[in-house]
Amino acid sequence: MRDRLRGLLTWTPSMLGYAVLAATVTAYLAVYTTSLGHLPTSFDYLSLLNTSLPLIFVAIGQSLVVLTGGIDLSVGGIVSLCVAITAAASGASLPATIGWLLVVLAVGAACGAVNGLIIAKGRIAPILTTLATLSVYSGLALKVLPVPGGSVAPAVRAVLTNPNLPTGLIWLGLAVVGWLVLRRTRFGMRIYAVGSDETSARAVGVPAARVKVGVYALSGLCSGLAAVFYVSTTTAGDPNAGAPYILTSIAAVVVGGVAFSGGRGSARGAVSGALALTLVIDVLFFAGIDPLYQSLFQGLFLVVSVLLGSAALLVRRLRPRGGTS
Amino acid sequence: MTVLLERVTPGTRRIGYAFAAAVGILLVGAIVHPGFASWTSLRAMLILASFIGFVGAGQMLVVLVGGIDLSMPWVLNGAAIVLTTTSLGRTGRLVPALLAALAVGAAVGLANGLGVAWLGVPAVVMTLGMNGVLEGLSLGLSKGLTCESCASYVPDPLHRLVVGRFGGVPTEMLLWAGVALFVTVLLTLTTFGRRVYAVGNNPRAAFLAGVSVRAVTVALYTLSGVFAAVAGIALVAYGGQPSLGLGDPYLFESIAAVVVGGVSILGGRGHYIGVVAGSVTLVAIVTLLQAQRVPEYGRDVIYGLVILAILFTYGRERADD
Repeated sequence: MRDRLRGLLTWTPSMLGYAVLAATVTAYLAVYTTSLGHLPTSFDYLSLLNTSLPLIFVAIGQSLVVLTGGIDLSVGGIVSLCVAITAAASGASLPATIGWLLVVLAVGAACGAVNGLIIAKGRIAPILTTLATLSVYSGLALKVLPVPGGSVAPAVRAVLTNPNLPTGLIWLGLAVVGWLVLRRTRFGMRIYAVGSDETSARAVGVPAARVKVGVYALSGLCSGLAAVFYVSTTTAGDPNAGAPYILTSIAAVVVGGVAFSGGRGSARGAVSGALALTLVIDVLFFAGIDPLYQSLFQGLFLVVSVLLGSAALLVRRLRPRGGTS
Repeated sequence: MTVLLERVTPGTRRIGYAFAAAVGILLVGAIVHPGFASWTSLRAMLILASFIGFVGAGQMLVVLVGGIDLSMPWVLNGAAIVLTTTSLGRTGRLVPALLAALAVGAAVGLANGLGVAWLGVPAVVMTLGMNGVLEGLSLGLSKGLTCESCASYVPDPLHRLVVGRFGGVPTEMLLWAGVALFVTVLLTLTTFGRRVYAVGNNPRAAFLAGVSVRAVTVALYTLSGVFAAVAGIALVAYGGQPSLGLGDPYLFESIAAVVVGGVSILGGRGHYIGVVAGSVTLVAIVTLLQAQRVPEYGRDVIYGLVILAILFTYGRERADD
């Protein structure tokens, strides 16, 4: 029992995400109540969740890539492309719409798989590969949807991001459960193995190249999901919709305690990081801070949470018998 | 001849490839679009390339030690705004305004360096965070570039200097040549340069050999910030007035110029002369696509594919097994 308690109290990387999320939720409740005089309603929570779902999905994909020691800058391009396809196909009948949504997810996964193939088989650094494919995918998005527009079938909106029913919560739950299942599979273990030490992983027979292709394909699939949820919440498409997600997904992953060296952290941390980053914007809004200063606080938030994480790690290292190793 | 061949190390070979890529694109351009390689057109391309060259200089310095500087867009933009808002278009205030703009770059670079070297924050995170900080400060303090002093122009002497010529050569190109000379001398002829490559190749070995890894890192990030500010000053001096988002294209272009120029993204290998070729290559690709009236989406797609092709030729990592 004492061991289990200590296990709970031991600092793990994802706890940075939970701690930061708890702090931002507290700040949110405080500024909301002081400025409006009552606690947030369930409607507030729901709209918050619905607006943060796209970032949550991109961040999950990004965290898988970062766990292998890589980085995916092309998420911006893939989200844009998938948003463009979703919005352009919006006039179709319901069965056709469902078909299009599946096509969108397949396109996302395929774009990601191309990244993975170039990185694993072509041996080009992830940051460079995805920088180049970002340009390609963003260009394709402009081809599909030259100007912002399109819409979404009401049925899709009702199922994905219903503004009155907590459907968003179900999708968030499914995403987290999906991750929990994934990390217990052989593929999940191999992601950590490749991220911790690729040479050793190869030596014990882990097919590192296949794992990488799979991880980038999954990241692309997550970007596709994010695009579908983006169109569903905003009810319109924009061929440049993905651009902000490049930096915010990296920030969410970092705040969520996933180590850039690879092999440490979890997608659950990234989910809390994504939620915290979205909440910060609301905190600033209710605190009455000029929205022009928004990125200043987001930047500080990013650096400070990482510093807190390293400080916590340092304290743990300095304390004898602090960790369960 | 044999002596010459022996001196062709993988590093110098990559510079050769970088120049071959630049010349290749220019040749293709000259064939499909008459007048593309004329002196007027080349001069215009070189001036556009010089702006990428400035940010590329800073980016290359941090990439050499395995780092990266994502704070460039808003350091560039911030420096440009500081230059016009402090000079108010008056010639008498030009020197303090220039110093203030450079100081912004140096201060942000120093903060980046201290965060990376002393606090152990990953370079991506530290510089990404600082980019946000600078963006917020630039937008907030200038009220979204609507403040009273925000309407001012660059002092005229600076504008005339940058668009003017000296001995028949555009001054902007002389400025770039000066930057190229400075970076090359710094990296190849000084002890500091030796230390940079030592840290880039193996920080631990460099540390054990008595190199102050932290001091080198901090110095490089500071220089990177200064070069981003130089690019901001040059851009605003050229255009006359700053705009919001002025620096946005330069983040990816700086990284692309560095790797197309044959600098290893893992650190420790590369020379600025390659980055010069890389900057010209990037501008030549875009100019050629515009000259051929390729629509915007096609430009993006082809641009990405050409960079991928270049990376496939000489930007690959060695196989692990």
